[in-house]
Amino acid sequence: MIDSLGRVPVSAPALDVRRLTKRYDDGTVALEDFDLTIPEGMFFGLLGPNGAGKTTLINAVCNLIRITAGDVRVFGEPGSSLLARSWVGLAEQDINLDRFLTVEETLVYHGGWFGMTKHDAERRAAEMIDVFDLRAKSDVRTPKLSGGMRRRLLLARALMHRPRLVILDEPTASVDFELRQELWRYIRRLHEKGTTILLTTHYLEEAEALCEEIALIRAGRLIARDTASGLRRAYTADSLTEVYVKAMHEQPCPVEEAAA
Amino acid sequence: MSQTVSLTGNRGLLWLARRETLRVWKLWTQTVLAPIVASSLFIVVFGFSLSGRIRHIDGFPYREFIVPGLITMAMVQAAYSNNSSSVFQARSDRYINDVLSAPMRSWQMNLGYNIGGVLRALAIGAGLAAVAVPITGVPVREPLVLVPAVAFGLMLFSALGTIVGIYAETFDHHTFVNNIVILPLVFVGGVFYSVSRLPSPWHELSHVNPIFYLVSAVRYGFLGTADASVALSVGVTAALAIPAYLWAQWLFTSGRKLKA
Ligand SMILES: Nc1ncnc2c1ncn2[C@@H]1O[C@H](COP(=O)(O)OP(=O)(O)O)[C@@H](O)[C@H]1O
Ligand SMILES: [Mg+2]
Repeated sequence: MIDSLGRVPVSAPALDVRRLTKRYDDGTVALEDFDLTIPEGMFFGLLGPNGAGKTTLINAVCNLIRITAGDVRVFGEPGSSLLARSWVGLAEQDINLDRFLTVEETLVYHGGWFGMTKHDAERRAAEMIDVFDLRAKSDVRTPKLSGGMRRRLLLARALMHRPRLVILDEPTASVDFELRQELWRYIRRLHEKGTTILLTTHYLEEAEALCEEIALIRAGRLIARDTASGLRRAYTADSLTEVYVKAMHEQPCPVEEAAA
Repeated sequence: MSQTVSLTGNRGLLWLARRETLRVWKLWTQTVLAPIVASSLFIVVFGFSLSGRIRHIDGFPYREFIVPGLITMAMVQAAYSNNSSSVFQARSDRYINDVLSAPMRSWQMNLGYNIGGVLRALAIGAGLAAVAVPITGVPVREPLVLVPAVAFGLMLFSALGTIVGIYAETFDHHTFVNNIVILPLVFVGGVFYSVSRLPSPWHELSHVNPIFYLVSAVRYGFLGTADASVALSVGVTAALAIPAYLWAQWLFTSGRKLKA
C-alpha cells in the first residue's frame, strides 16, 4: 500500500507491534505477547525499570535481534523490509560510534548506508553538525570526543537520514543538565515538524512534560498505557512519579492478578 | 521527503565497501606498506642468501621460486586478518548495529564487509609483485591462471576472516586462528620448498593442506609449472572458497552471532 510518492497512507500507525515474544538464547523471556501501537506523529514514552524489556522491544523494531514470535510493522510495512528500515532512526542506549571515523564521516557514511547520495549526505551532515554544535570537532575521530559530544553525535546520526520514526533509548542517560535541556529542545522541535518519537527515559518529570502518551512496562509486559493525566487518574496519583512507583511496586501487578 | 534516497541497498553496499577500504587507507603504512616490506625482506634475505646453496627448484632459481608463495602468503594473511579484526571491532563496539539496522540486504552487508580484505590483499599483492618481479626476474607466464587463483584464494580468506570476526568472543580468538591454523598451513604449504621433494608421509600429508593448492595455483600462474595440476589447484581453492563465502552469508542472513 504505497502511494505515488512512495508514502504509505496516513492511516498506518508509525509502529504496530503484535504479539511480540523474544526469548534470548539463554532462555530469558524479555517480552511476551507484547502489543503496542503508536500513531503517526505521536511523542510516545516507554517507561519501566531496568530489565523491563524496553531495549529488547526497540531492537526488535530495528532489526537488531532475532524475533521469537510476533509481528512488527512500521508505517504499515513489515519491520524487516528495506522501506521500514529507511523510515526508522535509532539512537541506542549505549554509545556505539565507529572509532575509525571522524564526526563528519560518521554522519556521511550513515547517510550512505541509508541510501543517500554523497551530495545529499554531505549537505545533511553539515546541517546536523551545525544543529548539534559539532562544527569545531567535525574532523575529529570519535574516540577523541567528550561524552557530551558523543551523545550529540549519536543523536545526529539517528536523525541523519530524515527518519519518520525516531527511537531514542535513554538519550539523556549520564548527560548533564544543560545538554539534556538542549536535547529535549531539539527533539521537541523535531516532533513539532511531524516526526513520530518513541522515547525511553528514567526522567519521569521530563517524560510527563514531553510525551503525549506513555506506556508502562514491567517484566516484558505492558501494564498501562494512557496520557500522563489519564495515568494519574487511573492510579489516583498526583504525579507520574507516583504512578510509576505504584505501578512498579504494586504486588501483585494488575497483569499478574488478571492471569491468576 | 528527499527523492535522492535509493532503496535497493546498492548505494549502502558501496558505502560499506568504502568504509572498509577507508580503514585500510587511513592506516596504509600498517595495512599495506608493512606487509610489502616484510615480504620483500623475505625475498631478499632467503632468496638471495639461499640461492647460493639451493641452486634450482623445478628449474627455477630459488629466489624466483619463492616469490609466488610469498605473495600468496602476504595476501591471504592480509585478507583474513583485515576482515576478522574489522568485523570483530564493529561487533565488539556494536557500531555494526548501524549497518545491521540500515536498509540493506544481507548479501550486500556480507559483500561489503568482505571487499575490504580483498582490496587490501590486492594492494599488497600488486605492490609486492612490483618489487619482486624486477629484483628477482620471476616470470609471469600464465596470468589467466593467476586471476581465478587469486580471486578464489582471496574469497576464501576474506570470508574466513569475516566468519572468525563474527564468531570471536575476544580479540585473541582472531590471533589464535591466525597463529594456530593459517600460518602453520601456509608454512607447510610449499611456499619455501617443492612439496614433490618431500619424503613420505610428508609428501602425501601436504596434499590435504588446502593452502598447498592455492600456493600451487599461484605458482603455476607465475612460473608455468607447479606441484599439482592447475585444474586441481584452482578447483580445490574454489571448492573451499564458495562454501566459506556462503557460510559468512548465512551468518548475515540468519543473524546468528550478529543479533541476540
Ligand atoms: N543479549 C541478551 N541475552 C540474554 N538476555 C538478555 C539480553 N539482552 C537483554 N536481556 C535480558 O532481557 C531482559 C530485558 O532487557 P532489556 O530489554 O535490556 O531491558 P531494558 O531496556 O528495559 O532495561 C532483561 O532481563 C535482560 O537481562
Ligand atoms: Mg534498555
